[in-house]
Amino acid sequence: MTVAIIKTKAEQGIVADFAAHAQRLPGDAATGKTRTEAMAAFARAGLPHRRVEAWKYTDLRVALKAFAPIATGDQAQVSAADVDEALGSLAAIDADRLVFVNGCYRRELSTPKPQVNLFTLGEVLRSGGALPALKTDEAVVSLNGALATDGAVIDIAEGEKLAKPILVIAIAAGASAQLTTLRHAIKLGTGATATVIEAHVTLTGAAASQSNSVLEISAGDAAGLTHVLVGLEGNAATHIETIAATLGARTTLNSFQLTASTGLARNQMFTRFAGEHAKLDISGLMLGRGRDHIDTTLVIDHAVPHCESRELFKAVLDDTARAVFQGKVIVRPDAQKTDGKQMAKALMLSEGCEFDSKPELEIYADDVVCGHGATVAEIDPAMMFYLRSRGIPKEEARVMLIESFVGEALEKIENEKLREVLSEVTRIWLSARQA
Amino acid sequence: MLEIKDLHAKIAEDGTEILKGITLTVPKGEVHAIMGPNGSGKSTLAYVLAGRSDYEVTSGDILWNGESILEMSPDERAGKGVFLAFQYPMEIPGVSTMTFLRTSVNATRKKRGQKEYSTPEFMKVARAAALHLGVKDDMLKRALNVGFSGGEKKRMEVLQMALLEPTLCVLDETDSGLDIDAIRIVSEGANKLRGPDKAMLVITHYQRLLNYITPDKVHVLAHGRIQKTGGKELALELEKTGYAEFTGKAA
Ligand SMILES: Nc1ncnc2c1ncn2[C@@H]1O[C@H](COP(=O)(O)OP(=O)(O)O)[C@@H](O)[C@H]1O
Ligand SMILES: [Mg+2]
Repeated sequence: MTVAIIKTKAEQGIVADFAAHAQRLPGDAATGKTRTEAMAAFARAGLPHRRVEAWKYTDLRVALKAFAPIATGDQAQVSAADVDEALGSLAAIDADRLVFVNGCYRRELSTPKPQVNLFTLGEVLRSGGALPALKTDEAVVSLNGALATDGAVIDIAEGEKLAKPILVIAIAAGASAQLTTLRHAIKLGTGATATVIEAHVTLTGAAASQSNSVLEISAGDAAGLTHVLVGLEGNAATHIETIAATLGARTTLNSFQLTASTGLARNQMFTRFAGEHAKLDISGLMLGRGRDHIDTTLVIDHAVPHCESRELFKAVLDDTARAVFQGKVIVRPDAQKTDGKQMAKALMLSEGCEFDSKPELEIYADDVVCGHGATVAEIDPAMMFYLRSRGIPKEEARVMLIESFVGEALEKIENEKLREVLSEVTRIWLSARQA
Repeated sequence: MLEIKDLHAKIAEDGTEILKGITLTVPKGEVHAIMGPNGSGKSTLAYVLAGRSDYEVTSGDILWNGESILEMSPDERAGKGVFLAFQYPMEIPGVSTMTFLRTSVNATRKKRGQKEYSTPEFMKVARAAALHLGVKDDMLKRALNVGFSGGEKKRMEVLQMALLEPTLCVLDETDSGLDIDAIRIVSEGANKLRGPDKAMLVITHYQRLLNYITPDKVHVLAHGRIQKTGGKELALELEKTGYAEFTGKAA
C-alpha cells in the first residue's frame, strides 16, 4: 500500500533549488545524469520520517523545516588562522590537513602529503571523471548523490603505514546558511594503516550550515584504520552523515565519534564484515544541551564468522536535549563465533532531557556471543558528597563527575595526543554550561 | 573544640530518626573514640558532621570552634578543617587519583586563603606524603579508588587527610579491612595529625585500633544516644564484655 504523502516545504524547495542550479554542480553530462537520477530517487522517497523504523526518533520531515540553498562552490575568504580558530582545541592535532570550505576543497589551506594518493572528488569531476553512483535506499544518501560537490579521496596503498594522521576539515563559512554536500572515500590496501580525523566546524561569526556527508570506507585484508569524527558545528547546525564501511579479513577499524551541541545531528554508520577475524571498535560521546538532538545509529553486519564488534556510546544531556542511540547487529547464518557487545549510557543533568536507546539483535547463527545494555543515570549524590567533603565546590565536583562518566568512552582512543585533544573539547563543552 | 548539642537527625527520605539526642564535647588537643554495635548510628553521626544531605538535623547543634556548621555545605565544612575518613570510600572511575587530590587540596587551600599549589609543586608534596603511608606511586596515577583493595582505600583516606591538613578529623572504622601492619601505618599517619589545636573523633567497632591511637575518652553509642562515657580502659572492658549491655531494647 502506498499512501501519497504531501511533500513538505523542505522537500519541494530542494527539488526546485536543484532544478535551478544543478548545472553549476561539477561534472560532465554523465555525472549530470547520475545527479538527476539521484535527485529523482530522493524526491520519490522524501525525507525520512518517524514511520521509517530506522528514523523513528529523528523525524526529518518534522525537524527540517527548510533546506538552505545548495552550496555550489562559492569562494568565501578564509585564512589559515581562521581555520585554526574554528578548529579550537582540534588545531593542536598534528596532521596533514585537507580543508573544505562550504563544500569545496581549498588547496591553499591544505597540506596534503605528496607520497599519499590523495585527491579530491571535485578534481575528479572537473577532469571528466565520474561521480560514483550510490546504490542505496537511504534518501539522505540519494540526496548526497545528487548534490555532492567535493570530498577527500584517500587511497592508502598496500602495505603503506601512514605515520601522520589526515585531518579532513569541513568548515561552514558563509554569511548565510548553505546545504553542503561532501562525499569522502577512504580506501586501504592489504596491510595498510592510517588515521583519518573528520572535523566539522563553523567559522567564527559564520552561519552554521546544513551538511549531508557520505563517507565510504573500504579496507582490504589485515589493514588498520583509526577514524575519528568530531562534530562541533554549533546548535544552529544540521549535520547528517552516513558512513558505509566494508572490512576485509583481520582488519581493524577503530572509530570514535564525538558530537558536541550540534542542533540536529544524525550520524549513521553501516559496517559490513567481509572477511573473517576482523574487528570493529566504535565508541563516542553525544553531548547535548539546549534543544540539541543528537542521533547515533549503527548497523553492523556480521556477514562472516569470527568477527568482533564493540560499541560504547555515552550521552551527557542537559536542558531539553535529546540523544538517540540505535544499534542493530545482524549475525548471518554462517557467521559463527561472532562476538558482539553494545553499550549505551546516558547521564541526565536535567529533568527535561531525553535519551532513547534501541538495540536490535538479528541473530541467525547459534554459536555466537552477543550482548547489549543501556543505562540512564543522574549524577550520583553519594559521589557528589564524597568530592564535596574533600573541599571541592559543587560545580567543580559536578564537572569532575561528568568527566568521570565520559572518561570510559574517551579511554577508547588509543592515540594519547588525540585523546588529550578530545578530552579538552569535552572539558570546554562542560565548562560552557554556566550561563 | 567540637560541641555536639542534643543532636537529633533523621533519614531525609523516610523520616526514620537515627540520632536521638547526642551530646558530646571534644576539646582541642583531644582524641575521643566512639564505639558501639553495628547499626547504632556511628556512621550517621560521622556523615551528619560532614554535612551529608541524606540526613536531616531536626534539632540540636554542632559547633566547631564556637561556630555552628549545620548550615554549611560539605565543602565549606572542609574549608573549616572538617575531615571525614569514610568507612566506605567511593570509587570515581575516569578521574585520576592525582588530579582528584590536587583539585581537592587546592580548592581547600583557596577556601582557607592559602596559596594554591602548582601542578609540579603538588606532585612533590603528594608523593612525599604517599611514601610515608605506603601508597605506591602507581596508585596515584590510577582512577580514584577504582580496583583498590579495602586496605588501599583506607590508606588513600588517610593520605587525603594528611594532605588536607584538617583540624577536626573523624575516622569512621578506618581500621576495618586492614591487617595489623596497615593499622600501624594508618595509625602513625593519624597520630601525626594530633596536635594542640586539633580534635579527633575515632569511630571503631573494635578496641584494636585504640592500642595505636590512644584516646582521651571513649563513648559508647547505641540506639542513637551516648550510653556511657569513660577513659581508655572502657574500650578494654567492652572488648571483654561486648555490647550486650547496650543492645537490649532502647530505653
Ligand atoms: N541513608 C540511609 N537509608 C536507610 N537507612 C539508613 C541510612 N543511613 C543509616 N541507616 C540506618 O540507620 C541505622 C544506623 O546506621 P549507621 O549509622 O550506618 O550505623 P553504624 O555505623 O553504627 O553501623 C542502621 O539501621 C541503618 O540501616
Ligand atoms: Mg558504620
